[in-house]
Amino acid sequence: MKNIPPILETPKPLHFPDLAAMAAFSLPLHSSFTPSPFKPQLFRHLQRLKLAPHARPPVLSCGSNAAAVTGPTGNEVVVNGIPPDYYADGGSVQLPPSLQRELMPNHVAVIMDGNRRWAGSRNFPIVFGYEAGFRAFKRLIELACNWGIGTLTVFAFSSENWCRPKAETDLLMGLFERILRFELEHFMRENIRISLIGDATKLPKQLQSLLVDAVEATQNNSRLHLIVAANYSGRSDVVQACRKIAFKVKDGLIDPNDINEYLVERELETSCTDFPHPDLLIRTSGELRMSNFLLWQLAYTELYFTNALWPDFGESEFLEALCSFQQRQRRYGGNL
Amino acid sequence: MFLRWLEATILDFGDEMHKVYMWIWSSGDLGLRLLWHILHLILSTWYFIIGLMGSVESFLISSGLFKRYRDLDISKVQYLAVAIDSDEALQTLKVLELLRWLEAIGLRKVCLYDTAGVLKKSKEALTLLLKNERMSSETASDPLVEEKCLSLEVISFSDGKQAVAKAADVLLKKHYLSSNTEKPKLTESDMTDALGAIGYREPDPDLMLIYGPARCHMGFPAWRIRYTEILHMGPLKSMKIGALIKAIHRYTMVHQNYGT
Repeated sequence: MKNIPPILETPKPLHFPDLAAMAAFSLPLHSSFTPSPFKPQLFRHLQRLKLAPHARPPVLSCGSNAAAVTGPTGNEVVVNGIPPDYYADGGSVQLPPSLQRELMPNHVAVIMDGNRRWAGSRNFPIVFGYEAGFRAFKRLIELACNWGIGTLTVFAFSSENWCRPKAETDLLMGLFERILRFELEHFMRENIRISLIGDATKLPKQLQSLLVDAVEATQNNSRLHLIVAANYSGRSDVVQACRKIAFKVKDGLIDPNDINEYLVERELETSCTDFPHPDLLIRTSGELRMSNFLLWQLAYTELYFTNALWPDFGESEFLEALCSFQQRQRRYGGNL
Repeated sequence: MFLRWLEATILDFGDEMHKVYMWIWSSGDLGLRLLWHILHLILSTWYFIIGLMGSVESFLISSGLFKRYRDLDISKVQYLAVAIDSDEALQTLKVLELLRWLEAIGLRKVCLYDTAGVLKKSKEALTLLLKNERMSSETASDPLVEEKCLSLEVISFSDGKQAVAKAADVLLKKHYLSSNTEKPKLTESDMTDALGAIGYREPDPDLMLIYGPARCHMGFPAWRIRYTEILHMGPLKSMKIGALIKAIHRYTMVHQNYGT
């Protein structure tokens, strides 16, 4: 793949798009400097991306189970689903200074792309890339726990990935088994709940068994809900939801006239969490697509694409993604 | 990272600085007020330069000075989707201008989307205006006029999740509500066929351009964007043809491995 300079996605420092982005983000400072009777005509059309504390709108969330309150305009808006007292316990959530507690996403989804390219760029075998990717995965979990993110969904293996060489898929399955064997204790200690979405029946039997045990052992954990998408396809998720609905109709549990999009949504695999809709999707390695991941659930999800390869995605990159998320306007098909 | 930290620090002090400004203003100190206005002038000049650079770049790209943008391989973009924020979609003239640009670049199949269905209401007007412009600029006997026409599909939120729910109903009637007790295994092809049966036969877009404040696709039919490249272009009122050409060029350089 050619080395394509970033154009319209999250910019690198000192490139033209980043200067423009920085100029736009600095507008609130500019506006706050300017007395109300005098505003430069040239910049009146630019919107404030961040408001003063007293004028901040309620935080919006895609979570279908999030509480709804009446916003300043009188229209009902959806407020961040995490209960206020969760962040009151300052001992468990310690945010960097550049992040605001009230604007933290409930649910972050990650497409961990770029392991093979990372290895290839260093003339390493592919296994090194996946090992480095696993270390980045561990770092992300730790950060998500420390920064109070409730749900983290990671795209570990796509149903399309079976087309890769068997040696590579066997390597990946072996890596997953090793992770489950040696990290389960850590997940229990850190109070992390594990769920699996995707068609597990095609995974090796041993891995299936380990997954079932991990899901069962961690089901009461509550600090972080880690959803692992393995052999997952967004389209297949929708199809299996429709199949479940059809079974329920055939069993007389649902009336055929009641079939609507809400019913489909309830049967998707992500209904295992209280916040099935990610607030933020991060994809690494510079690719600007969703690649059949959570297609239904990402309707109003903020999309963040970064050029960093997955093994290089660390604290600073995650912080940048969250800062970018907190500074964007979010709309949910209506007005703010 | 340093820029982000700097930006966050500046923003955090923004409101405090406003209070400081009000204090300066009320204190009557002319020297401080002069310093404030100088700072304001510097910032204004900075924004002006940024805007000017963007306009110059767009002009240079659209004038064909850069070879790579001049020799755009438009055949790689078989189907383009444009998702527009519903409030911004009310700017019909801007949407028309965008369609004109897309037609001039060489695109033939475009899908317009907005959540609330605003574009559906203006579809007829857009199609008519485009057709009139085409007729007035081409000779009546030009056999290639029809080939150059932009094929426009206009959809809204109801064509996404609601369509899938309707397709689920079709699948239910076809596969499950028969006397046959065997439970058939539904596949993605079955869903695609069901969507086609209720009128949704258009192909998946290769590239989606998003115009609006939020960097999300605003509920574009999920079934169709499995491998679609997604680019956020900013507000519709600030759209530039140079940015459009740049976005399409970027797509033509991308290699997709489709999971392999």
